[in-house]
Amino acid sequence: MSITLPTYSRLEIPLLGRRQRVWAIIATGLRKELRRPAAIVVMALGAAFTTITSIAILFIATIIPSGQAPNLTFFSGPASNFFVLFFVSLMASVIGAGLIADDLQSMAFTLYLSRPITQLDYLLAKAAILAPLVAMVTILPLLLAALVAAFLGFFSWTIALEAMGISIVVGGLLTLFYTAITLFLSSLSRRKGIAGAGVFAVNFGLTIPAEVLTIVIGNRSILYLSPWDNYVAVATAAFGASSTGIDWAVALAILLGVTVLAALVTYVRMKAVEVITG
Amino acid sequence: MNGVVEAVGVSKWYGEVLGLNAFTASFGKGITGLVGPNGAGKSTLFKLLIGQLHSDQGKITLLGENPWNNVPLKRRLGYCPEQNQLYGWLTGQQFVETLLRLDGMPAAESRKEATAALKVVGLSSAAHRPTRGYSRGMRQRAKLAQALAHHPEILILDEPLSGADPAGRVHILRTISEFAKDGGHVLMSTHVLYEIERVTNNIVLIHNGKAIASGNIHAIRALIDTHPHAVRIETSKPRQLAQALARMEHLVSFEFPAADTLLVRTRKPDAFYRELPQIVSDTKLDVRGLESPDDSLDAVFRYLVG
Repeated sequence: MSITLPTYSRLEIPLLGRRQRVWAIIATGLRKELRRPAAIVVMALGAAFTTITSIAILFIATIIPSGQAPNLTFFSGPASNFFVLFFVSLMASVIGAGLIADDLQSMAFTLYLSRPITQLDYLLAKAAILAPLVAMVTILPLLLAALVAAFLGFFSWTIALEAMGISIVVGGLLTLFYTAITLFLSSLSRRKGIAGAGVFAVNFGLTIPAEVLTIVIGNRSILYLSPWDNYVAVATAAFGASSTGIDWAVALAILLGVTVLAALVTYVRMKAVEVITG
Repeated sequence: MNGVVEAVGVSKWYGEVLGLNAFTASFGKGITGLVGPNGAGKSTLFKLLIGQLHSDQGKITLLGENPWNNVPLKRRLGYCPEQNQLYGWLTGQQFVETLLRLDGMPAAESRKEATAALKVVGLSSAAHRPTRGYSRGMRQRAKLAQALAHHPEILILDEPLSGADPAGRVHILRTISEFAKDGGHVLMSTHVLYEIERVTNNIVLIHNGKAIASGNIHAIRALIDTHPHAVRIETSKPRQLAQALARMEHLVSFEFPAADTLLVRTRKPDAFYRELPQIVSDTKLDVRGLESPDDSLDAVFRYLVG
């Protein structure tokens, strides 16, 4: 048997900075997700369904006589669209849950960290993969609803543009919250199923009991336990609609606090994580 | 102490299990083989060296630096893990390119260097096939390609020959030798002493998390020769291959543990590994992988540690 081989030789290549390295993780992660039929279906269904229902909610609000001219408060309806909660949970479970867990389970994490990549780079890249996808159900539908409503003449462009700006802020808040929580849950286990179940538990395991208990006990403070109700309180206040019964400032503090805490704990955990693979 | 790797009293626990037990060794320049049976602590030591594990006790340095969370040091090393899972949908070319981009290499250079590295390990013809379709030996070569494509100072190779076919072994060993000739350092683990003998005489023997001996390979060769060395061969025609191998006088036994597996035991492993490629080539039999169960080495280690 005769084998001829080229020889190895060393050479120096100037290397690019941190931004390019982070982008390399993002590009690989996005390519991975966009190859998965489940991820594509959830993204497409989520974006389409939440957009259609948000537009429908807005139109119904304008059609039903309420005695007031179309104004910014009308947009609190689509912002409180319950389908957003459902699809954000589904998207976080199907796409986000595996972002870190899958890498821990396979040797991908070992390979990532064998490169000049810090844990912060890695986490930022994972957040940058998930956040735009979550925004497809938290921000995009609100923007499109306002846009369509303005095009059809239901609202003035001034109101629509203002609504779009507020939508970006409140939708961004929800996006950050779910991105941080999902990555935190994904970093806890090598099994993405557990992280996915955790996202549903955080949403429906807190929201539904909190709303039921509020009705039974009659104390609306329990709603602070529900991330969704906190978000709705903030969104409603941002659009100038009447209060949902809980203080929007407290709700905002809770959402921001939990987001920052989840991000910090995930970072500390990833910083200390040891890759044990066998 | 000015070795490439210095380890002094390094211990690592996994809960109740001791991965490394006051491991002390100094690895010099060039190629060093870390030899020990499965579970001896080889992978743990390598994970400590690439900064993915943190030692519970003792001090370890790689190229004079503490590797734990040491990002700049990672630019200087190339790591080939033992595990076989890859992002299977990536082609070999994309796999190496992606990892080069993580190093910060520009896209054009990544493409060029990935192509060159795959050529060095003999994977050019399969570069544009998804890695999920690769044989185990091809995956080993792809992992070696990503480890050396960014031109590191040191290669850390965890069982790089495990499961590789005869041609793949030749490529891998040749690549490692060339890398070292060019001034690079190599740490390579194996549980098959005869594989490492082809590229270096410097070995460190590890058993139960401790370095039990280090130095020249020939000293323990005689010991090992008294224990028949087992080789498991993956082939579609194990009986025909056994027939072809029967002319080797040093073979002690043949077994057929599975429909596509032949297990041979030899008293002269070096001769066996030398002659096998020629026989495979002459008979044109399909050999997909070679693996040595570590029972023979384990026996020697039990003898060494009493």
